[in-house]
Amino acid sequence: MSETVILENVYKKYKMHTSPKEKLLNLIMPGGYGEDFYALQNISLTAKPGDVIGFVGVNGSGKSTLSNIIAGVIPATSGTVKTIGQTSIIAIQSGLNHQLTGRENIELKCLMLGFKKKEIQAMEPEIIEFADIGKFIDQPVKKYSSGMKSRLGFAISVTVNPDILIVDEALSVGDKVFAEKSKERMFEFKDQGKTIFFVSHNMRDIKSFCNKAVWLEYGEIKDFGPVKEVVPEYEKFLKKYKAMTKEEQKKFREEVIRKQSGLATI
Amino acid sequence: MKSMITIIKEQISSFYLILRLSAFEMKSANSNNYLGRLWEVLNPITQLLIYWFIFGIGVRKGQNVTMENGAEVPFFLWMVTGMIVWFFIYPSMLNSSKSIYSRLNLIAKMNFPMSTIPSYVIMANFYTHLILIAVVTIVLQFTEFKLSLYFLQLPYFLLAELLLLLSFALIMSTLSTIIRDVQQFLQSYLRMMLYLTPLLWHTDKFIINGQNWAFLLKLNPLYYIVEGFRASLLGTSWYATENPLYTLYFWVLTFIMFLIGSVLHVKFRHQFVDYL
Repeated sequence: MSETVILENVYKKYKMHTSPKEKLLNLIMPGGYGEDFYALQNISLTAKPGDVIGFVGVNGSGKSTLSNIIAGVIPATSGTVKTIGQTSIIAIQSGLNHQLTGRENIELKCLMLGFKKKEIQAMEPEIIEFADIGKFIDQPVKKYSSGMKSRLGFAISVTVNPDILIVDEALSVGDKVFAEKSKERMFEFKDQGKTIFFVSHNMRDIKSFCNKAVWLEYGEIKDFGPVKEVVPEYEKFLKKYKAMTKEEQKKFREEVIRKQSGLATI
Repeated sequence: MKSMITIIKEQISSFYLILRLSAFEMKSANSNNYLGRLWEVLNPITQLLIYWFIFGIGVRKGQNVTMENGAEVPFFLWMVTGMIVWFFIYPSMLNSSKSIYSRLNLIAKMNFPMSTIPSYVIMANFYTHLILIAVVTIVLQFTEFKLSLYFLQLPYFLLAELLLLLSFALIMSTLSTIIRDVQQFLQSYLRMMLYLTPLLWHTDKFIINGQNWAFLLKLNPLYYIVEGFRASLLGTSWYATENPLYTLYFWVLTFIMFLIGSVLHVKFRHQFVDYL
């Protein structure tokens, strides 16, 4: 089968500024100004329908940046990103409007995703049922508990029937019952041959759910392959990292910063 | 040119989107008040009363305003017919120029037609504008300035007003996303505009050393809109056709602003997220 997600030599560069003056210089100077920071370097990966790919890596390794780039939320600095079909990202920060009610947020969010009036009307009952927050659906979102918010966000993201789903650490919120329900829905997606990207620090979830894994380190792909090969390696690394003395950890982090500040050339 | 066409296409194809989003925008702005949208009429009324007190009674000592065609208009009516434009322009300009950076986090997709963000913010204020116009028109029926054929110009001026606002918003929303200081600048600029537009101060003759400098004030495109509204509501002239050169100036300026706005917007739209 053909690929649904193709990333080729994707870079994401940020400029680091310490003062407003530098920011201004960055706008004026043709090449930009400021210290480079590469959140992602030379990422190439492809995914097929039915693939469930886990992203693992320590904090700041670029997992969220990579998910956002695949979802089309942020642009890559260079390289090509090709996604075939509708993408949907589920993140903890669900971007709901707190003044509006849950029902209004459903319409708002679907409009933002580019759906037509009729499609939204058809999806609405399904979303409400899946979110299962009862009477609160007609209350402003600011009155929701954090669990309710994430349930509504999750319900919207999965009901829009995406071809490519990106789950960014969103399963850790919500109670067990809802987590089970969400997992079930994701297994359905998996069986339907959708492509799923899964970001988590929970290795058990990754192992039970994904068939492939990407290990990101300082914005680069350290390893990409079947879950059975990548995750044990990563766990080994974690153990080693934990066992390091403070000095060694500091050294490692310095190495990371050095690598991310632009050894690579575009 | 190409970016202009992109923007126009986006605006037309997302018309339903703009309507719905503006309805939500309005709702979330007023959801905390018990009187809700009533405030959008109550606020202007208190402002009008204080301006009338200061400028009408205080500065002008109750004197009428003489229009171009010689008609005498009580200051209060003259002010109200201009100020309804201001009550729309002022919040629209302020809100639409911060529209993109303040709402970007709600937008989940890069391919969202981003040029609709300023438009729906403007649209949300437009409903109140229509209500205020209706109220003023009804009030005018109890004066000697009753509905006349001249009222037919009003849709034209509404359109002119919307297009001017949209062009302005495209420029400002892009600039203020990149440089936030633009928003501060705009605030002081608008405070100045309140007095440089014939809203509170009748300036058709602005004579220094025997020369009329009023044309300088006419460089401000809001002048055109405000006078056009007055002509339509008070029934004093066919403003657009009686001042053809000024009409031409207004449209050329609006076109240039729209062109600059769309080029800027299309050039930076993909990087907006990076400026957050």
